[in-house]
Amino acid sequence: MMNGNGGTLNRKMLFIFGPVTGLVMFAAVIWMASQLMNREYKEPYRAPASVADATPREAGVNAERAAAETKAKATPYAEVEYRTFPVVGSRVAIWAVAELHLLFAAFVLAVPIFAFIIEVIGYKTGDMRYDRLAYEFTKLLSTSFSLTATFGAALTFMLIILYPKFTNYLMSVFSPTFLPYILLFFFEAFFLYTYYYGWGKFHPLVHLGLGLGLNLVGTGIMMIANAWVTFMTSPAGISDQGAVLSVWDAIYNYTWMPINIHRFIANIAFGGSVAGAYAAFKFLQAETDEERAHYDWMGYIGNFVAISAFLPLPFAGYYLAKEIYAFSQTLGLTMMGGAFSWLFIVQAVLIGNLFLAANYYLWLGMGRVEGRQPLQKFIKYLLAGVTICFMVWATPRSIIATVSELRAMGGSTHPILGYFGVMSAKNTAVNILILTTFMSFLLYRRTGKIAAVTWAKKGHAAQLLIFAAAAIIVVSLGVYGYFVEATVRIGLSVPQVSSVLFAMVSITAIDIFLFRGANKTGEVQWGKMPAVSQYVLIFIAVTFTWLMGLMGYIRSGLRQHWHVYGVIRDTSVDAFTPTIGFATRVVSVTVLLFFMLIGFVFWLTSLHDKPDFEREKTKALRHRSGEVPPELAGETGRA
Amino acid sequence: MTIPHPLRVAALVFVATGFYTYVGQMVPQKEVLPPQETVIAANLTTDQMVKIGQEIMNGKGLCFTCHTLGKTEGPFRFPDLSGVDARAKMRKPGYTDVDYFAETIYEPNAFIVPGFNPGMPVINKPPIGLTDQEILCVIAYLQTLGGTPTVTLQTATKYYTPAGAAPPGAPGAAPAPAAAAGAGAPTAPPAAGAPATAPGGTPAAAPPKAAPGTTPAVAPAAPAKGTR
Repeated sequence: MMNGNGGTLNRKMLFIFGPVTGLVMFAAVIWMASQLMNREYKEPYRAPASVADATPREAGVNAERAAAETKAKATPYAEVEYRTFPVVGSRVAIWAVAELHLLFAAFVLAVPIFAFIIEVIGYKTGDMRYDRLAYEFTKLLSTSFSLTATFGAALTFMLIILYPKFTNYLMSVFSPTFLPYILLFFFEAFFLYTYYYGWGKFHPLVHLGLGLGLNLVGTGIMMIANAWVTFMTSPAGISDQGAVLSVWDAIYNYTWMPINIHRFIANIAFGGSVAGAYAAFKFLQAETDEERAHYDWMGYIGNFVAISAFLPLPFAGYYLAKEIYAFSQTLGLTMMGGAFSWLFIVQAVLIGNLFLAANYYLWLGMGRVEGRQPLQKFIKYLLAGVTICFMVWATPRSIIATVSELRAMGGSTHPILGYFGVMSAKNTAVNILILTTFMSFLLYRRTGKIAAVTWAKKGHAAQLLIFAAAAIIVVSLGVYGYFVEATVRIGLSVPQVSSVLFAMVSITAIDIFLFRGANKTGEVQWGKMPAVSQYVLIFIAVTFTWLMGLMGYIRSGLRQHWHVYGVIRDTSVDAFTPTIGFATRVVSVTVLLFFMLIGFVFWLTSLHDKPDFEREKTKALRHRSGEVPPELAGETGRA
Repeated sequence: MTIPHPLRVAALVFVATGFYTYVGQMVPQKEVLPPQETVIAANLTTDQMVKIGQEIMNGKGLCFTCHTLGKTEGPFRFPDLSGVDARAKMRKPGYTDVDYFAETIYEPNAFIVPGFNPGMPVINKPPIGLTDQEILCVIAYLQTLGGTPTVTLQTATKYYTPAGAAPPGAPGAAPAPAAAAGAGAPTAPPAAGAPATAPGGTPAAAPPKAAPGTTPAVAPAAPAKGTR
């Protein structure tokens, strides 16, 4: 260090140097920041053309540009096999859009079926309540139809964009079906809107004719689209090289007719449940007893349609599975015993919940009838039956366990529970579930009535006998299935199903005659239902929707790494089969999207019943000025 | 405070969907990858072929989707493969085990094991579509189940004659012993990574739809019915 004057000077210098440096640095930062933030484009300095010759660099740049242009012009067209969708990827994007399209399409196809049937009942009986109910269902269609078409267009464009090569192949195979499809779609729009807007404007028979036309055209559309979808799973009518030999064979492939039947029935079940959810939503928001009575009845009919269609659905499922096995044992085994087998446990949980909820709703419905209901004492037995069957059906063949647990069990199959995880037990459980639910419905139907015919005792005995016989046949064949080879066991499901179907048809037939002119012990009081019953209806709709999503995944995912099984291989990054957990997450997101959109449909439909804005404003003004009392203002304000 | 019904409905939808998602997470999670293509070098020894054959049977060949190995108690949907080589030597008069295995793979409907239904697809065509070399490896592995592997990549069968190999039945066409493996004429291996089935345009046999419930008499590829 310096001493004396020199040291003092240095200290002064340092004293000045510090702030000066700080100021300089500050100025430098400001300058840099301003330079960085100044985005104004400034032309770089160029020597004036008059003083500068063309440089070799400019010539080079021009030559490069010309070469690139020539190369671009000479580039041949190359078909792209795949394109990617941002964030979620192509598969998930297509999956979600296809499922949303399918859900709305199912709804749009199903509602006209039961609206038409209800309208026919109204026409035959002359009871205008049915006509009003059918119209109420039909009101849901118009917006849903637009959404179906929108998702259909989105699906088509996304397929063309994301999977061009595969889409091109499908288009080449099914090219003769597209024009009829478009034509039918046009007819669908014509029939649907005329049916809806023409309500009460035509002779009833003409209107019913429109409804019939709507249903026929809708079914035709579904069958054409099913041909494309089923061809992907079980292709037919093509050569070894994939060329089309017969379009008809390609359409009428192994799984086409089973899917047609399965979807037709499932659509009705799904449509009924969503319409029931709409009624439940309206019930919960109803302000008058009259509204509550109407929407309670509508919800009951919606649920009745859903459950009636749901009961034969497993049989249609058997037919579909049988045809999948007939097409390819490998495909069948992949579905039932391979990667997808655990999905059927998830399915069992869903169907078990559906049965439980449907039965619970029927049991709650017994409370609608005035007076004491002796049949309610049977509910606990039915509940026990449903619960046991549910547990058996949801029991997996292999148990997820730790290594020590597996050692203790002597394998992945539990020594006792393992017996409930096989097909014999599951077939038996589902058939008994169907019988139990049918019994619940029968009890509900009888609530508040006593048979008055002379042969009432014999009738009851015959019904009980048929029911017991069906149950014994189902259980006996289920037990027998444990002792025979697989080929025999598979065949046992036919007599099991047949006996249940026979019981349902014959018992219903007897019941109709048995309760003709029955004595009433109490009137049905529509609207006298607890709010929880309406939440049950909404739960049923959510479960049906989720089930459709899951089963759609199984049907589609079964192909694994094939776009068209054995013909067009999936070579994209999505060629793998995802985990069940991932699949269920995609299904859930899609279901939530569907309910958001269907909520929008419900809201739009409910606008129909709201008073006009101008009328509402006038009513408010009149009320404020004291011209009319509020109650009257409310009365006049309601359309 | 009373919660408005629309909020309750929304909550119900969320809870129900959440519950089903949760159930979906509780079951075993397995991602199934597309089968890996096996590159088969021309100079494989029989022992190496056995190893590759075992991998193919567990993977691309999908053999154990239907067949079992070491299952002692029925019911059986398809034959168990334990000791299959010993049975293969005696199944058909005049057939060696290699002849028999080749027939089961290329033409599975030609012979159905008594007590079983047809159901096995043709293995050298899509959707499984093993190459001829891969099939030889599978045969090598099958020979180890109750026998000694003898095939090499130069072994000719009724369905496939490697380049330079004598056709089956010709003098010297018998399966080469394991010791001689790798010394014969080279077999053109598939290009590395080349799929056995060309993506996007693989031929497939797709039978016309028979009357509902019936099965085609001969159906190549997936719909074929035959079992061993």
